[in-house]
Amino acid sequence: MRKINLFVSISAIATMGFLYLPLMAVAFFSVNDTKYGLVWKGFTLDWYLKLFQNEFILHAAWNTLVLAIVSTLVSTILGTILAIGMDRFPWPGKMNTTLDLILHLPVIIPDIIFAAAMVVAFGFLRALSSAFEPGLVNMIIAHITFQTAFVALVVRSRLISIGKDVEEAARDLYADTTYLLLKITLPLLMPGIVAGAMLAFTLSLDDFVISFFTAGPDSVTLPLYIYAAVRRVVTPQIHALSTLILLVTIIMVILMERFTRKVNIK
Amino acid sequence: MLMVLSFLVLLSGSAWSGGGELKIFTWSEYMDEENMPKDFEAATGIKVQLDMYESNEEMMAKLQAGGLGQYDIIIPSDYIMPSLINLKLLTPLDPSKIPNMKNLGHKFTQASFDPGNKYSVGWQWGTVGLMYNKAKLKDSDVTSWAILFDPAKNPGSFYLIDSVREMLGIALVYLGYDFNSAVPKELKAASDLLIETKKRKNCLGFKGGVGGKNDVISGVADAAIVYNGDAIQTVSKEPEKYGFIVPREGSEIWIDSMCIPAKAPNIDAAHKWINWVLEPEVGASLSNYNQYATPNDAAVPFLTPEDLKNSGIWPTPEIIKTLHFVKDLGKDNNMIDQAWTRVKSH
Repeated sequence: MRKINLFVSISAIATMGFLYLPLMAVAFFSVNDTKYGLVWKGFTLDWYLKLFQNEFILHAAWNTLVLAIVSTLVSTILGTILAIGMDRFPWPGKMNTTLDLILHLPVIIPDIIFAAAMVVAFGFLRALSSAFEPGLVNMIIAHITFQTAFVALVVRSRLISIGKDVEEAARDLYADTTYLLLKITLPLLMPGIVAGAMLAFTLSLDDFVISFFTAGPDSVTLPLYIYAAVRRVVTPQIHALSTLILLVTIIMVILMERFTRKVNIK
Repeated sequence: MLMVLSFLVLLSGSAWSGGGELKIFTWSEYMDEENMPKDFEAATGIKVQLDMYESNEEMMAKLQAGGLGQYDIIIPSDYIMPSLINLKLLTPLDPSKIPNMKNLGHKFTQASFDPGNKYSVGWQWGTVGLMYNKAKLKDSDVTSWAILFDPAKNPGSFYLIDSVREMLGIALVYLGYDFNSAVPKELKAASDLLIETKKRKNCLGFKGGVGGKNDVISGVADAAIVYNGDAIQTVSKEPEKYGFIVPREGSEIWIDSMCIPAKAPNIDAAHKWINWVLEPEVGASLSNYNQYATPNDAAVPFLTPEDLKNSGIWPTPEIIKTLHFVKDLGKDNNMIDQAWTRVKSH
């Protein structure tokens, strides 16, 4: 019994090391006082200060934020509606599994195929209206498309766990649909919705492939900026930027985990 | 929700003021990215926005994936011009808006890919060669491409250039074939050579010219295949530490030109840019900055005299004999694509 435990704990630590050591290396070099090279030359927060003076990076950060917030808002609302519709409506059996499959598709499809499909779709839409030039609007639409599926999945699992009993009780007490949704389902669902929203936010923040294919020259986001910069020269500013993005993502994920954990304990 | 979205659309729309803005899609570090746009704005009042790429293929893919209405000026190399013209991705130039066209050298008005400058005006021309760290490699070591391709030699850590025609062409001339060969047997031999070279532990992989040059400077690599101007910007400042050479088997000579994409948002401003770049002082300050050779005859008197004497920038006749223009191979472009995909995926 003990032997198995030891093996498991060693693999766990090794896996975490494998995942996190490269990230620590980036954080390490972001406070290193040298422009090139791999030798430790002293602690400095200069690179972080230079970050905030770099106009390109600030513009890219603003774009990333706007994109993430708008697409998260829209996709959370759409995803919640989708989840409630899928779970609470009495679909016939086969329809249920088909809907389930369709819901899982955006999650499973490789990003690059999704992005290529977006390029073709927007090319077609461009023929109908010039509002679909590559740019922030395109990126928002593309992000909403894949985020909705993730939000719907999270919310749906929460819906299944709260069960139909409370709602049936409410119906027995003459609650109409609007009252039911607003005063009963949504408040019970709130932790799931928030968790889904945070997941969507993190996905949008980190997204590269889909943003790359739908971005215009004016709508550079942070991942795109880092990609372009790294192909030319890797300055410690990039390390500082990466560390900051990493911290934001970690905080979001921890918060999301906290929310869902509270829910399960209840 | 619809309100928020439409509000956002309006906001982002106002940032794109079509009237006084010029969007340029160019190679990275190909002009003084801080000052040249400011000088243009001071001269004409038009704001400039720069976007950069690392290879012609990347630029063309971006144009075809919806970027046609996004940029006013692109800077393609000579060999990709026939494809751009055939696919109707370019706007013909209006010579009445470019009076300074007369400043172009005669060779650049009769180029085989665009005789009469219907679609393009020369920007810079140059070569591809090897930049090396003199602390690790002696001048006598690098006279032949064998320093990279011969497994018996030890060139320290090096980058190959991440550009299809240049890299395949160099492998082909090293093996004794034609730079523009499309013979399947020869392409296979060249791609085999590249795959073997890429797998050696000294080879750090493929990187664009600018990235490779920056890595030699930072010490990450000891040698890299780069464009001549990029290398010479550093070599001319520190000639004891870095060197640049076109090895004897030969290499590429290229001309980059300014073109206007088919659905450019501000064609007027694009013409103004082209005319402004053709002014003698502007052309000279561009070449003095990026250390490439200029096609603008009127600019030559304003160039730094050391640059004119530098055979890395203005190659001597013996070097020119070993340099080849990349040719557009029409249907055979397919073979080149296959060879390159093979190199990258093995």
